[in-house]
Amino acid sequence: MASALRSAILRHIRVPVTNSLSLSGSAVRSMSSHGDDHLDKQAVIDRVIHVVKSFPKVDPSKVTPDVHFQKDLGLDSLDTVEIVMALEEEFKLEIPDKEADKIDSCHLAIEYIHNHPIAN
Amino acid sequence: MSLATASYAARRAVQKERVRILYRRALKDTLNWAVHRHLFYNDADALREKFEANRQVEDIELIDRMIADGEASHNKWRHPDPYIVPWAPGGSKFCRNPTPPPGIEIIHNYGREENE
Repeated sequence: MASALRSAILRHIRVPVTNSLSLSGSAVRSMSSHGDDHLDKQAVIDRVIHVVKSFPKVDPSKVTPDVHFQKDLGLDSLDTVEIVMALEEEFKLEIPDKEADKIDSCHLAIEYIHNHPIAN
Repeated sequence: MSLATASYAARRAVQKERVRILYRRALKDTLNWAVHRHLFYNDADALREKFEANRQVEDIELIDRMIADGEASHNKWRHPDPYIVPWAPGGSKFCRNPTPPPGIEIIHNYGREENE
């Protein structure tokens, strides 16, 4: 009887919703295929190193997670642009031009990709 | 001459940045036009040759004019339907499912509370 009364009332009155069960309710998008999690840092490092090693002008034995493209690997600024484009393709990212210009070393690339929310 | 002054160095740095950004956009454009990878590699090599041929130019005014010419020809040959990553502005998924504002909750058993 009380529940019937309650439903009758509820049909006519707008009651505000209490925030009872949303643990991380609005931050988790369950059907999104992109950007659900930050990537694992070690996975990011592995993939970045793999991309840099497969660059034809690079000596694979010199590549470490801290290598600087121009100083350590002896690359050109245009080669750096090509590497950044290869990283964009690998992680399905779109890096703005100004940001992409600043990526100069493996370390910066790993930092940027790890902090990017939609890197995949 | 304006060799080795700070303003000269600053101008050269700005020019180098313009060249890098131009090379990046031209490379993306090349990938847009030449979808198949083997064609893209050939075209990317040709583009790189064009940039390498002018590598040793030192005259600042000439460099400025060449950059302007390069940007003009890039604008002329831009692809009308470039590939943009879906979640980026201009892509197909941009703003498609924005995160709902906080505090919104879906009531899953609306109208059926008397059954519980």
